[in-house]
Amino acid sequence: MPNSVATPIQAVLPTKNHVPGNMAIWVGILSEMTEFALMFIVYFIAKVHNPEFFADGPLRLNTTAGVLNTLVLLSSSYFVIKAIKSIRIGRIDQCQRWLWSAVAMGMLYLIIKFYEYQWNSDRGLATDTDIFFTVYYYTTFNHLLHVGWGSGAILWAIMGIRMGGITQQNHSGLEAVAVYWHMIDLAWIVIFPLLYVLR
Amino acid sequence: MFDIKSVDFIWLVLMGLTLLSAAIAESPDQGLLLILVITLTVAYKGRMIVDHFMELKDANRLLRNSMRIYFYVIPAMIVLVYLFPDLIARLTTLQ
Repeated sequence: MPNSVATPIQAVLPTKNHVPGNMAIWVGILSEMTEFALMFIVYFIAKVHNPEFFADGPLRLNTTAGVLNTLVLLSSSYFVIKAIKSIRIGRIDQCQRWLWSAVAMGMLYLIIKFYEYQWNSDRGLATDTDIFFTVYYYTTFNHLLHVGWGSGAILWAIMGIRMGGITQQNHSGLEAVAVYWHMIDLAWIVIFPLLYVLR
Repeated sequence: MFDIKSVDFIWLVLMGLTLLSAAIAESPDQGLLLILVITLTVAYKGRMIVDHFMELKDANRLLRNSMRIYFYVIPAMIVLVYLFPDLIARLTTLQ
């Protein structure tokens, strides 16, 4: 181990084969990934039975909003991994700044999504417009809820750091929040091309 | 040692790939080549986040493989639905 060399800041690094966060959060993550997989299967089945609606639907959506939200979520994931790397080297203040940035991205996502729904509504696009929009609203609203409570979980981690429950030596709680947030990003990485790009 | 620069680079690549997908979304005709580009983009983005943002690359093997396989299966389904829509419609029709 290279740790025998003294360094100004000793990093607390994960061991090989470790479980990021804890097993409980992974039960949740794998359950949520299964839930999203079922939504994707519904999308595929609905698409092969109604190709005309799924060819036309993406063209009626606000692509810019979808692209912006993809960039926002990718950035939020980046900020979260930067927070993890910061706490490992004891930079607690920097870690909190990254986490606040991630929360800001979560809020920005929600603002863009509500703007997009309003934009749709102004054009008469609703859950019962056709089967594409039923799938679109069910999937994206479900994902939106995850972004909402995921942002709350990041706020909980920030409070944990401020109250001393999450530290450089013991930050598995922050890791659990981080991997959950990345799961939300992963779901959107599939949702974006399915609903906004593919026709 | 962890390489803090690698996640910076990966983030920029993922942002670039998103803009590429946006350009494809505006394309009037989506042939097989563009479908494959979209599919590979989904697979690559998923793998990068699983390996480097979730940090599963050197973590628990069961979790790593469970997450990685997701981004083989979903992209494969995208291609299958594009290539064989009628067959899949028949297989998923209730008699």
